Amino acid sequence: MLAEGKLKQLTQLVENFSKEELIWVNGYLVGLSANGGVQPKISTNGTAKVSKISIVFGTETGNSKRLATLLATAAKKQGIQVKLIASDQYRTSDLEKEEFLFVVISTHGDGEPPASARAFYDYIHQSRSNLVHLKYGILALGDSSYPQYCKTGIEVDQQLEFLGGKRILSLQKCDVDYEEDAQQWIEQVLNIVGQNSDDILPGSSPSLKTKTKTGKKFYNGIIRKNINLNDRGSKKQTFHIEIDSDEMINYEVGDAMGIIPSNKKIMVDLILYYAGVDKDLIVETDKKTGTVEELLINHLNICYLLPSAIAKYATITQQEIPDTRIDLVDLLELYPLGDASQIKDVIKILSPIAPRLYSISSSPVAHGENEIHLTVSRHSFKVNEEQRFGLCSDFLGELPIGTALNFYIHKNRFFKLPDVKRDVIMIGPGTGIAPFRAFLAERDAIGAEGRNWLFFGDQHFTTDFLYQAELQNLNHTGVLSKISLAFSRDQPEKKYVQHKIVEEGHDLFDWIQNGASVYLCGTKDPNSVDIEKALLQVIRDHGQLSAAASKNYLAQLEQENRFVKDVY
Amino acid sequence: MSKEQKLSPVERIKTESNGLRGTLKESLQDEITGALREDDQSLIKLHGMYQQDDRDRREDRNDKKLEWLYSYMVRLRLPGGFMKPEQYEGLHHIAGEHSTGIIKITTRQTIQLHGIIKSHLKPTLKSFDSLHLDSIAACGDVNRNVICSAYPDQSALHHQISQYADKISLMTLPKTRAYYEIWLDEEPLIDKREDDPLYQDRYLPRKFKIAIAIPPNNDVDVFTNDIGLIAIVEDQQLKGFNISVGGGLGTTHGNDQTYPRLGTVIGFIDSEDKVLKAVYETITIQRDYGDRADRKLARLKYTIDRLGVEMFKKELEQRCGFALEEAQPFEFTERKDYYGWHQNHDGNWHYTLFVENGRIFDSEQAALKTALFEIALSRNANFRFTGNQNVILSDIAEANKKGVEKILRQYGLEEHTTNAGAVRKNAMACVALNTCPLALAEAQRYLPSLISKIEPILIKYNLQEEEISLRMTGCPNGCARPYAAEIGLVGTALGKYNLHIGGDRLGERLNTKFMDNLDEEQILQTLDGLFEIYSGEKNTNETFGDFSHRKWIANN
Repeated sequence: MLAEGKLKQLTQLVENFSKEELIWVNGYLVGLSANGGVQPKISTNGTAKVSKISIVFGTETGNSKRLATLLATAAKKQGIQVKLIASDQYRTSDLEKEEFLFVVISTHGDGEPPASARAFYDYIHQSRSNLVHLKYGILALGDSSYPQYCKTGIEVDQQLEFLGGKRILSLQKCDVDYEEDAQQWIEQVLNIVGQNSDDILPGSSPSLKTKTKTGKKFYNGIIRKNINLNDRGSKKQTFHIEIDSDEMINYEVGDAMGIIPSNKKIMVDLILYYAGVDKDLIVETDKKTGTVEELLINHLNICYLLPSAIAKYATITQQEIPDTRIDLVDLLELYPLGDASQIKDVIKILSPIAPRLYSISSSPVAHGENEIHLTVSRHSFKVNEEQRFGLCSDFLGELPIGTALNFYIHKNRFFKLPDVKRDVIMIGPGTGIAPFRAFLAERDAIGAEGRNWLFFGDQHFTTDFLYQAELQNLNHTGVLSKISLAFSRDQPEKKYVQHKIVEEGHDLFDWIQNGASVYLCGTKDPNSVDIEKALLQVIRDHGQLSAAASKNYLAQLEQENRFVKDVY
Repeated sequence: MSKEQKLSPVERIKTESNGLRGTLKESLQDEITGALREDDQSLIKLHGMYQQDDRDRREDRNDKKLEWLYSYMVRLRLPGGFMKPEQYEGLHHIAGEHSTGIIKITTRQTIQLHGIIKSHLKPTLKSFDSLHLDSIAACGDVNRNVICSAYPDQSALHHQISQYADKISLMTLPKTRAYYEIWLDEEPLIDKREDDPLYQDRYLPRKFKIAIAIPPNNDVDVFTNDIGLIAIVEDQQLKGFNISVGGGLGTTHGNDQTYPRLGTVIGFIDSEDKVLKAVYETITIQRDYGDRADRKLARLKYTIDRLGVEMFKKELEQRCGFALEEAQPFEFTERKDYYGWHQNHDGNWHYTLFVENGRIFDSEQAALKTALFEIALSRNANFRFTGNQNVILSDIAEANKKGVEKILRQYGLEEHTTNAGAVRKNAMACVALNTCPLALAEAQRYLPSLISKIEPILIKYNLQEEEISLRMTGCPNGCARPYAAEIGLVGTALGKYNLHIGGDRLGERLNTKFMDNLDEEQILQTLDGLFEIYSGEKNTNETFGDFSHRKWIANN
């Protein structure tokens, strides 16, 4: 596609380039094309060199933080002074003084900023600061399966411009397979603020740079096993699901699986009944055209609609509807359509079904590369006094053996096992045990020498001890060197994993001092919050440190990737 | 006994247990499992507990990647089956808090609770301790709960005689403090030696059972015990006891060397000191001569048959330092519980309540558990558990009788007791499935429904008032004493039973196996045939057991 003349020019230009230089140029060109052409060179006071940059990250899962750190490390290598700071630590009054600011920020839920970035986000939306000196670039993380893909990043990008800031490179959106896009963005930033260098990203693997973008890879799976791990009498339902695939599944322990659940057919039948619509009516949305039944079952969210969608519904059907969040079926029953043809407009206001991520509980080494396991707890909650269940956990729990299931792998490159020799402490109450079942199976299969210690807790020993029999075997063979358990409701006083951590403080601190890596997986609130407090107490008590020093100690572990969290 | 034979594995566990301590403390701290370490599973029996698992749930739990549903049965040491209302109140709460909730009366006058998980064991035993109750030596290779005729109105001397149960129980307690250290957190005494001259470090080769009977009622089935003491009362004075030795019912399917045996009366002893001495030395003979290689041949009955009764008696007299007198005449005329209200010699009242298979719980027909709890709260009655798995509300003052009556009526218990058929009220079944690890077939879960199918047959032949004793066990070990019944059903496999007939009503003649491996339909058909002949040909007052023996057993 390149004209012969240009091709010749290019060939001449690169003929003396080293392999590394070629790789860099490749990335550079991809970056250029992504931004629609050559970026105007930024004036940086007459020199090409920027001396100081600030990098702010707003993180929920730690991905933004890692990428921000990657950029900081690379920039420092080039002699640039870097201020790397979490958005909740950032002094917003400093914003007016900033010259070069790079923000790495993710989007969560229904287009929300991460909790830790809320103050920063609100500030730039409410502030009247004049950011005339500011030159900035935004890396936005998100998941394209959600309707509000990268919304927070987009808003931050727009808002900084609105306040007078100057965008020095276009917003980069990154999907769940963010690695390559993020890498290119980092390279662009370095290209703009730094000197040209053939060693921009030490430590990042060349394969990442040259990988061609393939998009989200979906696998066709078949459910092979679906077992409720909780015994009779339990208040919980936790499904152990084994899925086979014809092709090799490219994943590692610590990764998550993304699944787009389907809606229940009976609910869709009801919707069609209330709407008075034939199931084979062809309708279209931005993304998809198909029969109304197919769209409602497999593509569109019909549960717990957003207030904005309900407002639009009110407009379409010309009714007064109070601010509320209800299911489409209830909406149609309570506030019927004026006539059946309105369904076409109603379909357009529905957002796509959002994917759910679940920590994978198998290891490709131990369980085979065509097999993958999940540990999913049935999510139950109450709406208006009525017991309800989460769409996806319900969907998964009811999948019979033999059902086909599409899924993709969501990489988590930070929640990874350390060197085989290192000890590992795993704290995983409830379904938080999922990645640790994978860790233990993997360490068993590869014969890792390091010791393994698991903290697990749930409600009752007899009914809720997930994977008990497997853990016993691992304990007998010595792979699981130690296990500490807390069953909250087996005694008059409630007992949780954090209590066990404090009880075991002496040994726990000993392990950490000895180089152990600490992993935490589970619900954020209350589990991980209380567990972190308990860890701090252990460090304080057994390291004989002040409160501040123990915080630093834990922060240091986190920085060294020796305290890694996967919380949800 | 061939001394060259290898000792049974349990022998090593006992002798190496450091006074029954083993690694029980460590086992209790193993959080990852609800089970105990293997050796401790044997030792815990001598602390009055069995490790069990819900056999109905094994497969399902395997699928769920859970270990088997382990739990523990705790059996109390309750000499003579006597409990104060305060203790019963506490028992009620403990059952609710830590076990399945069902209070089970055993065939040996005590109480056991099932389904206690490992982490609840210590709290359970601590709670019992606060009620001055313990489970020491309630199971295992030791002398177990000493039972005694339960009826206060049988004799003015009942109180005096039942004291022997307490005295024998105390005399034969293991001397180790292990129970207190492990379950009640007592500090170990470092310097103290725990010499146990009775059990030494070997304990007994097998379980050991003692019963005291007060004629004319043989409600304790005295001849099924290793030692039976039969009170000899003359002119309202306790003269002493006849002593019977070598009773025991356990057998093993397919092992011809095993057999049930009724005790042999070997003499009479007049003073308390001598009675206790004779009991003690009978145990030491069994300790020294019992078979420690083959547990199936280890009970005293086999020891005695090996030595010969005369040799055994000589050895006993030598160890005692006195000779046994000639046995005194006695007569049993009944072996049953006297349901309903009865008055004692002292004017107090007691009420015997029918508890099917000894299981105290609230059913739709009768709120047994609630009623007994309320009676306990009223403090108007003591509790005496019978060897037939029923409860006697006893020592009720005339003034309090109405109050107890009211509660019994309120919860439908009077009706429940009165309306139950004669066979049902005299029937017994062991625990069997789903918790007993030895069970081959159902027993207590099944017998009630089987009796409901037998009752119409009895009515057909106008036999419904006959108090025929019917006993069922899920295996041949004999916990519900099936060989000492007029009809014995001994489980061989799921849904299959051997039918034994020809035992007498008083427990003085064992029954004989009549047919093998019958299913329910075959049992009902066979009984229908037998009852038809019995009703047509029996002599006046001839029991079914005696008739069967005469008709089908003796001449064959």
